[in-house]
Amino acid sequence: MAWREQSPERGSQVSSWNPGGPASHRESTLDAAESRPAVSVGEREDFVDAPKTSVSSISGAGEESLTSRPHTEHTVENAEQNPNLNTDSTPARPTDDQILAQENSIREAVAESSPFVGDKEPLAALRKEYEDGSAVFLQKISTLEEKYQAIRRTRGDGNCFFRAFIFAYMEDLVQSNSLQERNRVVTCMRQWKPRLIAAGYQELVFEDAQEMIMDQLNSLGTADPVMLPALETNMRDAGVSQMVVMYLRLLTSAELGQRQEFFSPFILGMFDDCPSVDHFRQRYVEPMGEESDHVHIVALTDALQVPIRIVYLDQSLGAAMAGVGHAEGAAVNHHDFVPEALQNATGPNAIPKVHLLYRPGHYDILYPSKSA
Amino acid sequence: MASKRIQKELQDLQRDPPTSCSAGPAGDDLFHWQATIMGPGDSPYAGGVFFVMIHFPPDYPFKPPKVQFQTKVYHPNVNSQGSICLDILKEQWSPALTISKVLLSVCSLLTDPNPDDPLVPEIAHIYKSDRQRYEETAREWTRKYGMG
Repeated sequence: MAWREQSPERGSQVSSWNPGGPASHRESTLDAAESRPAVSVGEREDFVDAPKTSVSSISGAGEESLTSRPHTEHTVENAEQNPNLNTDSTPARPTDDQILAQENSIREAVAESSPFVGDKEPLAALRKEYEDGSAVFLQKISTLEEKYQAIRRTRGDGNCFFRAFIFAYMEDLVQSNSLQERNRVVTCMRQWKPRLIAAGYQELVFEDAQEMIMDQLNSLGTADPVMLPALETNMRDAGVSQMVVMYLRLLTSAELGQRQEFFSPFILGMFDDCPSVDHFRQRYVEPMGEESDHVHIVALTDALQVPIRIVYLDQSLGAAMAGVGHAEGAAVNHHDFVPEALQNATGPNAIPKVHLLYRPGHYDILYPSKSA
Repeated sequence: MASKRIQKELQDLQRDPPTSCSAGPAGDDLFHWQATIMGPGDSPYAGGVFFVMIHFPPDYPFKPPKVQFQTKVYHPNVNSQGSICLDILKEQWSPALTISKVLLSVCSLLTDPNPDDPLVPEIAHIYKSDRQRYEETAREWTRKYGMG
């Protein structure tokens, strides 16, 4: 703890490691997680929403969301009610070792709490999470149940979008055994090799990661194809999972770098502390654990030419347009991220096969119902 | 996994060494390297040779390496223990970075200190208020500790 309790005149030093900007909630994330190692971290949005809900805990909405996200209540109270957090000023600056040790302990706490990708569970598991909670969420889950049958959770460590995406994509390939799509994506990844080098990454950085993905893809259609249990084992292995996340981050970053003109208005408009697309790439895309926003999703969708549907589950009511819900129940909004080249296409490639459930700060995998 | 990556970086450094630095395992332990950095010509560290210790964490490259000066350096972003205040060694670390890139960043830091984010506020203050005195002291330390 001592390391963030800086005296004011040393305040500038805090910024040396405090990410600031859109990631500034990380500070509270660290605090909360440190005091309660068992909570899940990496879901920054919780900490944005939480103070509102804890203040208005008498109102129905407040109660509901507290119950709906039990961790939120604890972590925020902890940060707010412990007066020592901000008043005690210890001038000592933490060493890199201390900072890293703390980060490691947080990550380990998260790691123990959940695998990188969980088991496929019926959608009832999601309903159970909100059983005594928000009526809005329950209504929305009813709407979701019309289209989706199952969910697979991913670890909330800031890499969840990438992990959810690649698992859902590979699982679909494994299950459908679609060699045409496999061939397309293998070619796409091969073409990425010179582009990654052109983007400034050394081959030694990404070659093993690329090989890991390609090996699994190439096994499809052979006598010994990767099956779902093996895919699950691989993607739960830290060595494989981290490498794959890194590879996807590099593709995303390189795509951003190569189409700066397209992306810069979004990035410069969204992030106050991003003077350039390159800064954004180095600061918010390439480091592990940096959460994914629309910009990341658009870039990865384009990089691999894979459309993605994101279904949003939050407290918002109304906004029924673009929703998949019916007039009576609560609409559930979704957004399809479709690569530019496929936007006017009508073939099967243009239909999202990867469906992700977004709850503020976190992505899980959704499975459409067979009939839907 | 980590050792494979470190091995590759080592081969790459031997094949294509950066002009101003060198690095390799200090002994039998692949996770413990020593590097040398030549003081950049356009800095008060010119002519000095600075030893740097590198420790790779077991989950490298997903965690940053620990990099520390073993030679005493008079610099706003390097403290008396040799700890270096450099963003890419902390929150801006990414697995896309390599030791070679880290060492080049350390070289740049020697040429262009970052006094607004100091590790040693006293040196940062002198750097900002009396540049000549900073340069003289840095040159003196370089003669005293970096040449020998």
